[in-house]
Amino acid sequence: MTSSPSSSDASPTAADGHAPLAPRRSVLVHFVTAVLSFVIVTIPATLGGLFFLDPILRKRKDAAAGGKSGEVSRKDEKGFIRLDLNRDAVPADGTPVAVTVLDDIVDAWNRFKNVPAGSIWLRKVGDGPILAFNSICPHLGCSVDFRPAEQDFFCPCHTSAFALDGKKTNEIPPRDMDSLEVSMRTNGADDPAGQEIWVRYQKFRGATAEKIAV
Amino acid sequence: MINWLDNRTGFRELMHEALYERVPGGARWRYVWGSTLVFTFTLQMITGFMLWSAYSPSTRTAWESVYYIQNEMFIGYIIRGLHHYAAQAMVVLMAIHLVQVVIDGAYKAPREMNFWLGIVLMMIVLGLSLTGYLLPWDQKGYYATQVTTNIMSATPVVGPEVQKLAQGGSDYGHLTLTRFFAMHAGILPAALVAFLALHIYVFRRHGLTVHDAKHAPDTTFWPDQVLKDAVACLAVLAVVLMLAILRPAELSAPADPAVKFDAARPEWYFLFLFRFLRFHAVEALGLTFGAIVVPGIIMGILTMMPITAQVLGEWGHRLNKAFIWLMAIAIAVLTVMAFYEDANDRGHQAALAEAHRDGQRAIELASGPDKIPVDGAVSLLRRDPYTQGPRLFAQHCAACHRYNGHTGRGTLVMEMNAEKVPVIGAPTAVDLGTFGKREWMTGIVTDYSNHFAWLKNAQWFKDAQAKAAAGESVEFINPDGSEMADWTSGNVESLKSAENADNVKALVEFLAAEAGHAGAEFDSALIEQGRKLATEGNWAGALNGTSCKQCHETIGDAFPAQPTDDGASGYPTMAKYGSAAWLKDFIRNPGAARHYGAKNQMTASTPEKLTDTDLDLLVRWMTGDHTASKVPDYPGQMEAVKAAISK
Repeated sequence: MTSSPSSSDASPTAADGHAPLAPRRSVLVHFVTAVLSFVIVTIPATLGGLFFLDPILRKRKDAAAGGKSGEVSRKDEKGFIRLDLNRDAVPADGTPVAVTVLDDIVDAWNRFKNVPAGSIWLRKVGDGPILAFNSICPHLGCSVDFRPAEQDFFCPCHTSAFALDGKKTNEIPPRDMDSLEVSMRTNGADDPAGQEIWVRYQKFRGATAEKIAV
Repeated sequence: MINWLDNRTGFRELMHEALYERVPGGARWRYVWGSTLVFTFTLQMITGFMLWSAYSPSTRTAWESVYYIQNEMFIGYIIRGLHHYAAQAMVVLMAIHLVQVVIDGAYKAPREMNFWLGIVLMMIVLGLSLTGYLLPWDQKGYYATQVTTNIMSATPVVGPEVQKLAQGGSDYGHLTLTRFFAMHAGILPAALVAFLALHIYVFRRHGLTVHDAKHAPDTTFWPDQVLKDAVACLAVLAVVLMLAILRPAELSAPADPAVKFDAARPEWYFLFLFRFLRFHAVEALGLTFGAIVVPGIIMGILTMMPITAQVLGEWGHRLNKAFIWLMAIAIAVLTVMAFYEDANDRGHQAALAEAHRDGQRAIELASGPDKIPVDGAVSLLRRDPYTQGPRLFAQHCAACHRYNGHTGRGTLVMEMNAEKVPVIGAPTAVDLGTFGKREWMTGIVTDYSNHFAWLKNAQWFKDAQAKAAAGESVEFINPDGSEMADWTSGNVESLKSAENADNVKALVEFLAAEAGHAGAEFDSALIEQGRKLATEGNWAGALNGTSCKQCHETIGDAFPAQPTDDGASGYPTMAKYGSAAWLKDFIRNPGAARHYGAKNQMTASTPEKLTDTDLDLLVRWMTGDHTASKVPDYPGQMEAVKAAISK
């Protein structure tokens, strides 16, 4: 086979007419050659493929863990984040307010401390409880807006609409807006009548009827 | 020499093989489409490699490097523009190529394999365009691609894993960019080259699908058909080059997951899919149906075309032709619908205007002497009063106030009227578009009632007036009936008289200079004259002897660093009225005795509502204290507001 161009299927029948081919080798040689060729291609391809699957194969460390060094984290060990505004600052007439949540973001090799991580809608009616919704649309991830005239939440991408309590009002979104856990506190300690608003900021998978945190 | 080379490479045979392909029926313009696609791809390789040489995929460098390519590097905008527009040209050319293949029956036996190779190539090109859209890491690409990866997650069974693989994790970040870039610049182009080679090889094996063999005498590929191909490619090049120069590729603001983006749209050639997903009837069947099943069925029918034609014969071919025309019409209709709806959607137009303004401003700040900080361009906008001011105004002030008729962000405040039709809402507090400027001061000094007439739309005003009419004693700010209103209306003739014209001008100059907003130049002689008028009241005629200081005792004084109500006289302090220091104190404590006291109706913005940082950004925007901008501000909406109110 040394005199003819090697072909990938290791078949010596394709004579090029220049020189007589060496006699056929034994079945064993065919087999060994095929296996060897297969192995030398498969190993790097498999290794490459496995590396590419890193996002689902790697055991990740807890991305949410607050570091001890550097700036003071606003996040407690249960994942609640203190907001800048307090209960009284949320309009009592039910008008939602958009609030930027500052969180620690771990992005691969970086940890960003106390950076704007997302936007949420806060709302209360009278002395009622504070409601918090992630502003990410549960449909396909655009930003949900408040429409004062219509008095609803509305996504300008695919026209998802929600009532002000987060319930979906048309067939576009697969589920209601994603409500977030809220904890009212005083000096960081649970107190239902407290002024401090702590929110457990989470993102949820889009395009699904169930609310699954990511 | 050439013989020597040929002996060792056999290139003559190769060239002959490549160039002397028979073209039965003569060279035709209708055969150029495949060549234009190969050309466009070559153009993408050249410009793509060059962009690669300057691009840096990470969340803190992607936008920044694209900004640098676009705005700083030599002919960078042309290279990026070519890549940007040639990508779109490729999709258009591919669509033409596909339609032609189907109507000419070029997909039929024995060319099935080549048709399928073409379908694979089409998927690769669409994959390239999807991955490329994210790479600038601007708001537009970020939010549009969120939609794409969310659609991936709706794939049955493996969806969430596919999404995670595409994103490089459970959320967007550095690895999303490195992976998208590897797909865009490595894996997909390599696959494209491989499949393109097969596509051309199989094409040559079966030869051209001749449209009309009797059209002209047979010829060869070189030079007759190549000439036509080259002219067509030149036309494509001319179009994309012209677009690149005349309409440089846009770069919107750096991606910020914390900043809501209301203008998200896919690239225009995906608008039909976008519009399709807006049908409630489609969505009622589930997202997977609309976003995956339907496109899957369409691709399936397309892929089955050779078999359809084989099994059903001529009728199958007709069916296929009908299908491709149907698809073309449906896509065209949906695309036009999407464009039409967006053009007539006031909210979308406002969102586009904001996206454009933010993008331009980000570029402007990045071009500044300090360049881009290491924490990325996203921090430039977060710290920029000209960007954040309008947003803060819209959130905290626009429930009552307006800014030149709009919310600060260029949008109108809408409310429902009795017939449940959205109408422009009446402002219930003063429009602050000219706050602290000469125009504003002129309004207060010469036309107080009118200047504050907006307050009369407020419910508290109507209630107070009703009470007053019923004989109750109520204290409230009344634009028509206060000491200040009486002073301006009682002295209107003297104020408007020729003898006081210069005095009014001087007083306004003084007041505007006390506010001291950035960007204005003041006349110091006029200021001194104005100061005397304010403190001594040396007017001409009937006004003589009436000074501002008689009531507003602190006028002309510095605004105290620790403002107190000591010595508050019941009249609002005019110390540095309209300045940043005054405004900050006023926003925090409008009801303090030094301001409106008991008459106040404005909600105090405590630090729990408006943080110190945000207050600073808002006030700096309102007083013009930020790096100057050539980016135009939102157009005024005062006419629209006035027209709506007068109805």
